[in-house]
Amino acid sequence: MASPASPVTMAITAVCLIILCTGCSVRRVVYNTIITTEDVHFIHPGQTTMLTVVGKLGAPDEMTESESGVVALYNWSDTKSAAMDFGALPRLFLPYTPSMTLNKTGIVPEQFLVVFDPEWTVRAYGFSRWPKEHPVIWFWPF
Amino acid sequence: MSFVKSLAGAALILAFTQGCVVSRANVGEPIQEETLSHIKKGVTPMAEVVSLIGAPDRIVRGNDREIFHYYYYDAKSPGLFLLLINLIHMDVKSDNLYVFFNKSGIAEEVVYGKRTDRTQFRLWPFGE
Repeated sequence: MASPASPVTMAITAVCLIILCTGCSVRRVVYNTIITTEDVHFIHPGQTTMLTVVGKLGAPDEMTESESGVVALYNWSDTKSAAMDFGALPRLFLPYTPSMTLNKTGIVPEQFLVVFDPEWTVRAYGFSRWPKEHPVIWFWPF
Repeated sequence: MSFVKSLAGAALILAFTQGCVVSRANVGEPIQEETLSHIKKGVTPMAEVVSLIGAPDRIVRGNDREIFHYYYYDAKSPGLFLLLINLIHMDVKSDNLYVFFNKSGIAEEVVYGKRTDRTQFRLWPFGE
């Protein structure tokens, strides 16, 4: 049977965790809700109408006219930014404030578009290119 | 004694909220849903729509029709700036209203989608 951790072990673990996270900065900006391929399975070009699309996905963020018809655009994004300031810990002990920061920000705007014919029936639809999933903490900029 | 307790309580609250940032941002005015019921399809003219909801934020043309686009954005962003770690999360959502007019300038269709009621003050930046 494993013995419970002693207060000294717990304190050392806590200090290690704090040192590990020192100088860490995590930012995230989420714009609108993500639309997945499962969410758009109900759309059948030539059959589904604009009101059905709006009923299931909500009102689009933009509508524009193209040569193929009216285009409805749904936008969303998940921006992740992380930074690590290696000068954060020495700052606690040194009389000056050293700074050595690595930062990475991934802005991933995504789009789902639906093209309607003059009768407001879906002519075509598609997603913007699918980006690979980025981790929330990834500060290495190289 | 109660004054000392209140002071201690206030100091404790201040100590625990150090480094907290709560921000909120809006673009435009919230769309008044109750006014949408006054727009009757095939009856309400453009001028009445403008007097009910106001001038549109954008006018789009599509399928030989004028489409009025109204939008509203709401952003909630809590942050925690501690001595060693910073966490910031921002949640932005939008409401969109489209009023479609026929060639005679009569409202033909109303499309409304509300997302801002799901905007959250959520600090934890990890997970979905």
